[in-house]
Amino acid sequence: MFDFLAYPMANIILLLYKLLGHSTIAAITALTILINLLILPLNLSQQKSVQKMQELQPELQRLQKKYGKDKEKLAQEQMRLYREAGINPMGGCLPLLIQMPIWFGLIGAIRYCIPSTPVEVFQFSQHIYKWLPGVVGLVPLQSTFLGMDLGQPPSPAQWWSYSLPLLVLVTTWLQQKLLTPPTVGDEQSQAAIMNRQMQIMMPLMFMFFTLQYSTGLSIYFIISSLIRIAQYYLIPASRNGGQAGAGGKR
Amino acid sequence: MNLPWSSYRFVALAALALLVLTANGCASGVHATSWTGLTVSDDLLYLADLTQVKTLNSADASVVWSFPADPRKDPRGVFYITPIVYEDRVFVASEVPPTGMFSRYKHVLWAVRREDGIPVWSFDVAAGPYVESGAPGGNLFVIGNSDGSVYALDVDSGTLRWSFSTGHRVWASPLIISDTVYIGSMDRNLYALNLRDGKERWRFHAGGAFAATPALWNDTLYIGAFDDRFYAIDMHTGKERWSFAGENWFWGNPVVHNGIVYAVDVNGNVYALDAASGAQKWKRALDVPVRAGPAISSDGSRLFLGGRDGVLYALDAADGITLWSQKGEGQILSTPVVSGNVVYALWLYGPHRLRAFHTDNGREIWAYPPVQEK
Repeated sequence: MFDFLAYPMANIILLLYKLLGHSTIAAITALTILINLLILPLNLSQQKSVQKMQELQPELQRLQKKYGKDKEKLAQEQMRLYREAGINPMGGCLPLLIQMPIWFGLIGAIRYCIPSTPVEVFQFSQHIYKWLPGVVGLVPLQSTFLGMDLGQPPSPAQWWSYSLPLLVLVTTWLQQKLLTPPTVGDEQSQAAIMNRQMQIMMPLMFMFFTLQYSTGLSIYFIISSLIRIAQYYLIPASRNGGQAGAGGKR
Repeated sequence: MNLPWSSYRFVALAALALLVLTANGCASGVHATSWTGLTVSDDLLYLADLTQVKTLNSADASVVWSFPADPRKDPRGVFYITPIVYEDRVFVASEVPPTGMFSRYKHVLWAVRREDGIPVWSFDVAAGPYVESGAPGGNLFVIGNSDGSVYALDVDSGTLRWSFSTGHRVWASPLIISDTVYIGSMDRNLYALNLRDGKERWRFHAGGAFAATPALWNDTLYIGAFDDRFYAIDMHTGKERWSFAGENWFWGNPVVHNGIVYAVDVNGNVYALDAASGAQKWKRALDVPVRAGPAISSDGSRLFLGGRDGVLYALDAADGITLWSQKGEGQILSTPVVSGNVVYALWLYGPHRLRAFHTDNGREIWAYPPVQEK
């Protein structure tokens, strides 16, 4: 389904593997950095959108009280508010939605580069870009990292491989904590409750995700979270969302 | 639209969860991730048929025995690799699916009785799938595994006698000649191991992975690799004698007959090479991805191979011209098997998984399983 992304991503991994001293971890890390650089503008714009949404919370609550019984009017007023503030209410989930195909493409790319089933790698044999320098003969890539098989999901036989999904949990939680802006106003508001749930749900969801698929995918999530944490500290624009409404609670 | 931003992220996450669960749900049934194998011995066909290993009469494909007898009541996993018949045993392997979130696939090698398919012993130490079959030598059964090891087991008891670790997955069958095991690994080495204790005698390093079994002729091993090259290697020293450049990976097992080696790359180019010099005699492009190597008729006049298009080709070994072809539904990813004047071909993902044809004209003799009336 996502082979249109998996094939090019697999070829990029092959090229990076060749350029980075035949290190699979380095190749996946480099690809993760490239992907995060590509979606950086989107992430920054999401942060701004989130910040604006939070700033509108008191006004939204006022509208809720005022037009609570007239749903149509409430929706009209809210849309007017969003329009005036220049916010797309769907903007908050856009980066997440855009990253989903990337994740599935990456899962496929890792399967092709570090094959665990022969049918898949046979399929990939027809999609290697032979014009890329030095990629002939690279498949399968070296699959072992710290005794873990990067092409396989974590397994009890390699119990320490569960450390990677745990790291995914920790880094995603930290990223969420830093980048989710504080809720303005009522702590019991729907937004505040949702925010708190998201801070728990997201890391758990990502950990579940990485338990199901190849260990190499955990590397992507961990590096991505670390990049976004670094982004928080290094790029002031990304921090604005987190600092908005200093009196609010995370 | 009165939902806060986090609601949309919540919806996105729920969609992701659904996708993950759907993907896992799709994988929970019998979804073939490898190809199946067939062996012919004494007018019986031994077939790895996904949830069962079956012994069929070669005349009419009637079932003699199955292991397990009823996979719904007694599931033993999915069987792929070619059953190997040796003395009174048949060696098969299965991949047993996980039973919970934290359990993983088990990979079991079975020795079953040749007469009735009753299991004698099993070996479940290997951590990865078995992709190709093993080979018997002396009182040992030697097989490679995706966990990177080569295992040698006692034929009678299944006791592990030795194992040898390579640097990557082992997806190739070994070739055992006298007291030496020749086996390729995805770590780009072809190894020669002492059959008795698994000690390495030599290794030949190529620019790509080895997933084929070498063919032997006049003290020379012939094998292709994933670096798009086909190699002739001295069987005693492991030194290269010549190599030949193809257009893509060489995955299938080559065959040698009368000083000519026949090999096929995964682009579907069939090559006839002079075994002594590597000079190309002829090349035939089938223009379809081909995974498995060719089978050759007993008189060496015909080559049989199939591709991902589900077509079984019979080629003239003298010039590569197509003599006949038979289309089936699904993909042919295994090497056909020739026995006398019958060629058997296996289809993956098709309604008939095994079909028998006359070698001379391609006329179908039977198909298995037969068409079931609704």
